[in-house]
Amino acid sequence: MSKQIEGKNLPLAGKISNESYLNRVMFLVLIALFGIASLTIGNYFSTATALNLIANNWYIVILGVGVTFLLVSGHLDMSVGGIVAMAGVLSAYFCQPANEGFSELGQGLGMPYGVAIGLTLVCCLVIGALNALFIAKMRVASIIVTLGTMSIARGVGQVAALGAQRSAGMPDIFGVIGNVPLFGPIKIAAAIAAILVIVALYIEKNTTFGRRTYLIGANREAARLSGIKVERHIALLYLLSSLLAGITGILLASEMKAGISTRGTGFEFSALVVTLLGGASIDGGVGSVLGMVIGAMILGVVSSAAYSMLLRPEWQFILKATVTFLAIIAQRYLLDRRSR
Amino acid sequence: MSANCNTTNLRGVKAKRLIKQIYVYVILAIVVAVLSMLKGDLFQRGNFLFPPNIANLLRMSAPILMISSAFTLIFITGNMDLSVGSILSLTTVVNAILLLNGFSFLAAMVIVLSLGVVLGFINGFLVMKLRITPVIATLITMNAYQGLARYLVPPGISSITNTDTLTMPEWMGNFSKGQVFLGLSWAFIVAIALLIGLVILQRRTVFGKYLVAAGGNRTAAELSGINVVKVVWGVYILLGAVSALAGVARASYLLIGEPYTGTGAETEAIIACLLGGTVFSGGEGSVVKSFVGALIIVCLTFGLKSVIPEYWQMLAKGAVLVFAVVLNHLLSKETAVA
Repeated sequence: MSKQIEGKNLPLAGKISNESYLNRVMFLVLIALFGIASLTIGNYFSTATALNLIANNWYIVILGVGVTFLLVSGHLDMSVGGIVAMAGVLSAYFCQPANEGFSELGQGLGMPYGVAIGLTLVCCLVIGALNALFIAKMRVASIIVTLGTMSIARGVGQVAALGAQRSAGMPDIFGVIGNVPLFGPIKIAAAIAAILVIVALYIEKNTTFGRRTYLIGANREAARLSGIKVERHIALLYLLSSLLAGITGILLASEMKAGISTRGTGFEFSALVVTLLGGASIDGGVGSVLGMVIGAMILGVVSSAAYSMLLRPEWQFILKATVTFLAIIAQRYLLDRRSR
Repeated sequence: MSANCNTTNLRGVKAKRLIKQIYVYVILAIVVAVLSMLKGDLFQRGNFLFPPNIANLLRMSAPILMISSAFTLIFITGNMDLSVGSILSLTTVVNAILLLNGFSFLAAMVIVLSLGVVLGFINGFLVMKLRITPVIATLITMNAYQGLARYLVPPGISSITNTDTLTMPEWMGNFSKGQVFLGLSWAFIVAIALLIGLVILQRRTVFGKYLVAAGGNRTAAELSGINVVKVVWGVYILLGAVSALAGVARASYLLIGEPYTGTGAETEAIIACLLGGTVFSGGEGSVVKSFVGALIIVCLTFGLKSVIPEYWQMLAKGAVLVFAVVLNHLLSKETAVA
């Protein structure tokens, strides 16, 4: 009797969890894709390619951390791309010199860089708080609210940059943080992304906060009944996501030494794509930060391979859509077969 | 005592129901009134209410009016379609290519409408057959269709337009720009006809009842013998076809095939439906009110464009969407409490 309870009747008895299983499969897919790309494209197999993969995808990883936690809890965040643009423009606007410059676009507020960054992050948190208010408190569908806040955030960026970009008269310190070289093409931003991933992995696996996120995504009502403050938890996740998007925006603006109001277009979709590639379920309750990182690498390999094959950039749209679709279908098939 | 309580309660319910019935018209009236007091650069004779000005506005906005009316149905079933803007872009480009290559208006329209049916069919297939969450499924197709639209435009140019050897037919603009009746165009008349058709579909046919049932409680609908998969799939196909029709109108208005023309159309349709009081979790909504909601957006977009710089548009749109969400929430909550 007791053997039956411990033994094979439990769905995953003696096996690794579905998430680890998917992570391993996706890691093999990543290696396979990299191998295929190396075989078909000359010069693709090199350390430069591997380094570029990291150098070109760190921002998706940072955004992906916030989006993964939200998706695990069963919510979407489409506002991250808009927040990236807003953070870039605002951080530029705050520290451009006041009462100088020839045009309106050269006029800023002349704050020290540290204050400018702090104030920018506060503005990003305001957008996150808007999301939290409508989605957690008023229980409006997250897609509708975050589409609205996406417009608001990008709109603030466009108004602050007068529909263009702020790059005139930047103080030198503005371009420092995004351009500290570490190793080859890899800059300090990639290291920040790596640290954030490690912290996120710890939170996900080893804290009650992380495990509660999964419970809320799996069954919100059960989570509420077991004493989790669901509304507060979701609000915190939205604040976190907007904060990470703000950091990304500041780093990207610093890298280019300009606040560009069209920056980050489509980032929200990319962040969602890498999260889904990493095995997160659209319905919540399943997903992992590690899977998201693997997903980001897969998307990076596919994009760079397509670029090397001289496909027109418009293919990127279709490519991303196809990859996501295949990932969703394949993962569902794998999990179905596994639980049989 | 209790009877007294009941009557006041009833009165409150009646008042709220009245507010729900008319508020969208009130907002439209307020927007028009405010705009008519402003002096905009784009307004002919500097006055918003100048009749040719209104007629021009209505000619311009036929596509978004069509999409918004049909979008209500998808909201009623409790689903979502983010790909309407991309379908609009794609069909605009395809229509322009066909006309450029000498197809007649009707032939091009039939091909484009069939394309819309196919695109809507794909959406429905992903959502209803493969059971991918509507938001994700249509986000995927949104990107795929948008990429296809951009890909159909040859490299090096930004839109389908006259080339050395081929020119657009002269009659291309007749559908959306020709003034048929009181300065209104065929496209706007088609939009009105579509509105009437959808109202009949929603209020006078079994299909309309099925929509509400599917959106209100899917399991109950299935148990009572409604084929929810077919019903919702049908709505996706209908929305695809309507978006394609909007693409024909847009191409005829722009006279070129611009691959990014539909960007943001899905947001506008969502705002229109929310302003019209459609419940986004499904089960309740009115096509006419969404149409009026779309008129509000059209007036705001055009009006603001002529009063403040272009780069305020995005912020304004987001603010209006959040306003619509709040309004929608308050009204639906009040009836729930009452």
